[in-house]
Amino acid sequence: MDITKNDDLPGKLRYVQYEHALEAEYLPAIRTLIAKDLSEPYSIYVYRYFLCQWAHLCFMALNPADSSLIGVIICKLEVHASHSNPTRRGYIAMLAVASSFRGHGIATALVKKALDAMTKRNADEIVLETEETNIPAMRLYERLGFIRSKKLHRYYLNGNSAYRLVLPLKVIDLDADSSSFDGQMA
Amino acid sequence: MISGYPNSEEDLEELYDVARPLLPEQVLGIIDQLLCHETLFTSVYVEALLMPTPRNIQQADFIRHMPDGSSHDPMLTILRAYCLGMLKACGYVNDRIRSEHFYEEEDFVTNTYSRNLLAAIPTDDIRETLLEAQNLVSSLREKLGDEMTTALDHRLKLRYAFLAATECLQHIREPELARKPWEEAIALLPGIKVSHELGKAVDEAFSAKLQRNLASTMPPRPIVQIGFADAFGHLSRLFKDGSELIGVLDFTDSQCLLAKKPQPLVYVRTLLQTFLFNEMEFLGTMSIRQIMDDDFSIVAMPANPRLDRVNDEIEVVQDPRFVMSQQMELFRQRAAQPFLDVLRTFCQNRCRVRRTLCHIIRDWENLQVDAEEIDQIIQVRTKERPMVQESPVDGSPIESYSLPLSSWTYLYKLRMMEWIVQLGFELEVYQPDEFAGMYWYLNYLAKWRLQHMERIQTFIRHRVEEARRSSQAPEPVVIRQLERSESFVRLSMLDAIVTWELSDALSCLYTVLARLDLVKAPPRPYSDNELRYELRMRPFAPIGLPALPTFEMFTAGTEQPEVSTPEILQYAEKALAGAKRGYERFVSRNFTAQDAFSVGSHDRWVTSMKNGLKSCIATGIAISAVQKALERSLKTGELKIKAEVPTPDKCYHDWWVVPRIIPIQ
Repeated sequence: MDITKNDDLPGKLRYVQYEHALEAEYLPAIRTLIAKDLSEPYSIYVYRYFLCQWAHLCFMALNPADSSLIGVIICKLEVHASHSNPTRRGYIAMLAVASSFRGHGIATALVKKALDAMTKRNADEIVLETEETNIPAMRLYERLGFIRSKKLHRYYLNGNSAYRLVLPLKVIDLDADSSSFDGQMA
Repeated sequence: MISGYPNSEEDLEELYDVARPLLPEQVLGIIDQLLCHETLFTSVYVEALLMPTPRNIQQADFIRHMPDGSSHDPMLTILRAYCLGMLKACGYVNDRIRSEHFYEEEDFVTNTYSRNLLAAIPTDDIRETLLEAQNLVSSLREKLGDEMTTALDHRLKLRYAFLAATECLQHIREPELARKPWEEAIALLPGIKVSHELGKAVDEAFSAKLQRNLASTMPPRPIVQIGFADAFGHLSRLFKDGSELIGVLDFTDSQCLLAKKPQPLVYVRTLLQTFLFNEMEFLGTMSIRQIMDDDFSIVAMPANPRLDRVNDEIEVVQDPRFVMSQQMELFRQRAAQPFLDVLRTFCQNRCRVRRTLCHIIRDWENLQVDAEEIDQIIQVRTKERPMVQESPVDGSPIESYSLPLSSWTYLYKLRMMEWIVQLGFELEVYQPDEFAGMYWYLNYLAKWRLQHMERIQTFIRHRVEEARRSSQAPEPVVIRQLERSESFVRLSMLDAIVTWELSDALSCLYTVLARLDLVKAPPRPYSDNELRYELRMRPFAPIGLPALPTFEMFTAGTEQPEVSTPEILQYAEKALAGAKRGYERFVSRNFTAQDAFSVGSHDRWVTSMKNGLKSCIATGIAISAVQKALERSLKTGELKIKAEVPTPDKCYHDWWVVPRIIPIQ
C-alpha cells in the first residue's frame, strides 16, 4: 500500500514501533484515539497488559510535522494453550486511525506491519474480532486474506454482534489433536 | 484508576428526588422509557425500589419512611405498582433463563449486580398492588381524562398479564390456560401503541452513573436505549412467540420441532427448553424414551420388532428379543444426549446454533460407530436376512442389511453438516467469492443425503411389502407407522433433491460470475487458497463419512476448468429445473402439515418452501441474464452487466443467496 502518494497527507508518515520509553509521550494519545473509535471501554490495565508484554507488536503512525499520533495497532502473540497441540496465535486487539486521516491506507499499512512482525515470530494464525457493523474494517482485513470463521452473537456491550476473522498462516495438523478447532471454527 | 468509579464529587450529578410529584404524562413517559431501556439499573425509580432489598411489599417503595399520616401522590402509587409488576416479572424471567442453557452476555445479561428482584415478595402481593393501582386510575378518570386513564390502565393490565404469563409453566398440561395470559397481553398492545404519544419523557430519571453505586470495580455499561417503535416491536413479538410456543404442547412428533425465523427472544427460547426438557419429561407428558423410539420409527424403523416394548419382559438370555431390548437400551443411553442436544441447540441463538453444531457433529460421528456395532450385534442375533439386489455395475447379487440405527444416526449427521453450511450463508460467514465453493460443498453433502435416503427407502418399502404379503392383516398401528415413514422418506428425499439441485445451479452461476470477473476475490497477499480451504472446512475434517473432499477435488469442482462457460450455464439451467420441480411439488401438491412434518409450524414451512421456489425463479432470471449478455458480447465484445450479491436479509431465503444481474451502460 503506497501511503505517500496522497497529497492530503502531511508528507511521509513515520511508522514507529512502540517501546516502554515512549509511554509518557504516547500512551495518553493512544488511549484517546482508541477510546474514540472502539465501542468497548478499556481500562488502563488493558493497555498495559498488551504494551508491556508485546511492545514489539505495537506500531504507531506519526505525523512527521509534529510527531503527533495518527494511528496505532496493538497486538499480542501467544501459544494458544486450550488444545493439546498448541498453536502460536497472533491476536490483533486494537486498531485505530484518526478520522481526518482515514482513506489513505494508514490502517492497512499498520496491519501489514503487525502481520509481518507476527509472521517473523512464527505465528500459525492471526485472529481478531470486529463489529458486524464495521464494514470498512472487515473489508480491510478480508483484502489481506482473513476470512470470517464464526459470528459471535451480541459480542459487544453495545449489543452488536461480531465476526471472528482468521488469517491462517500454516497448516494446523488436526490428526495430532482432534479438538484443535474448539476455539476456531466453532 | 478504576474507570467505573466516580472521579469527583460533581461527577455524581445532583440527586434526583424520587418523592417529587409527577404529572400523569410524566408517569406514562417514564413507563414507556422503562420499556426502551435494555437494563434496569439505569432508572432512579428502580434503584429506589430495590436498594436496600425490600423484605416485604410495604418496604418496596420509592420512599421508605413516609411521614406519619401522609400518603403517596397517586401518580407515584401508579408508577410504583407498574415498577413492582415489571420487576417481579423480570425476576421470573431471569430465573427461567438462568435455569436453562443460555449464553451469558451474548444471549442475556442480567445486570442485576447480585441484587435479587423482589424474590422475597409474594406474587399475590404484587398482583394486589397492581389491581389497587388500576382502581386508583379509574377513580381518577375525571381528573386524568379518558385517554390518559385508558393509557395507564392498559399498561398496568399488561404488567398483570405478563406476570401471569411468566407463570404459564404450571399449566404445562393445560395449553389453553397456559396460552391465556399471552393472548390477553396481545389484546392490550394496540392501546399501548396509540397512547405512547400522550407521555412525556423524564430523561433525568435515568442515568448510566447509577451503576457506579452498585459496582465500583467494573466500568459502567453504556445505556442501550432503543426507540419506542423497536421496543414495542420486541414486546409484541415476545407475546406472539410466547402464545405460539404453547403450540408445542400440542406436540405430534419430534420431526415437527422446526427452527423459527426470525428467532424469538431468549426468554421464549428458554421457556421452550423448559417445556421440552423439564424434569426429563418431554412436554410434561412423554418420557425421553418415548420420544426417541417415536423418532426411530419415523426415520428408519417403522413397525420394527426392535421397538416392541414386550421385549423388555423377556428374561431368557438366548432369546433374540432379550438381545434387542438390551442393545436398544444401550443405544438409547448413548444417543439420548446427542439427540437432545440437537433439539436444545435449536433453542439457542443462531450464531450458537452453528457453532454448537460444529461441535456436536463429532459426537454423532462417534455415535455412528456405536450404532454400527449395535446394529451388527442385533443383526447376528436375530438372524436378519439380507436384502439381495443386483449390482448396477455387473448385475451380480449384492447383499445388504438394514442397519437401522446407523442409518438413523448417519441421516442426522448429514443434516447437521448441511445446516452448518446453510447457516454459514445465513450468518454471512462466507464472502461472495466463496459462494461457488460452499454451494459446491452443500451440493456434495445433499448428494450423500439423497443416496442415503434411497437406501432407507429401499428397506422401508421392503418392510411395507412384507406387511402386505403377510397372511394376517397388519394392525392399524403398523399401517400408521409404515405410512408415516413413507411420508417422511418422501419429504426428506424431495428436500435433499431441491438442496442438491439448487446448490448445484448456484455453484455453477457463481463459478461463471467469478470467471467473468463479476464477483471478484480480494487480493489476499497474506494467504493462499489451500490454507483458507483447510480453515473453512475444519469443522468437517474429523468426519469420516462423507469424507472431506481434498483441496484438489474442491478446486476442480468449483472452477470446472475443463468446461466452457456456456456449458456451465446450460448445466445450471438443468439443475435449476430439477430444483424448481421439487419446490413446486412442495408448494402446489398441498402437502399437509402431517406430510411436511411441520405440525405446529406449518405456516412457516409453507412460507419457507414458497421462498425456496422464488429463489429458484430469481436464479433462473440471473442465469438467463448472464447467458444473454454473453451472447451479445460475442458481437460487441462487451458484457455490460454487473452482479450484485445481496445480504441474506434481502434474499427470498436466507440459505439461498441469489445474485442480481444488472445491466450497465
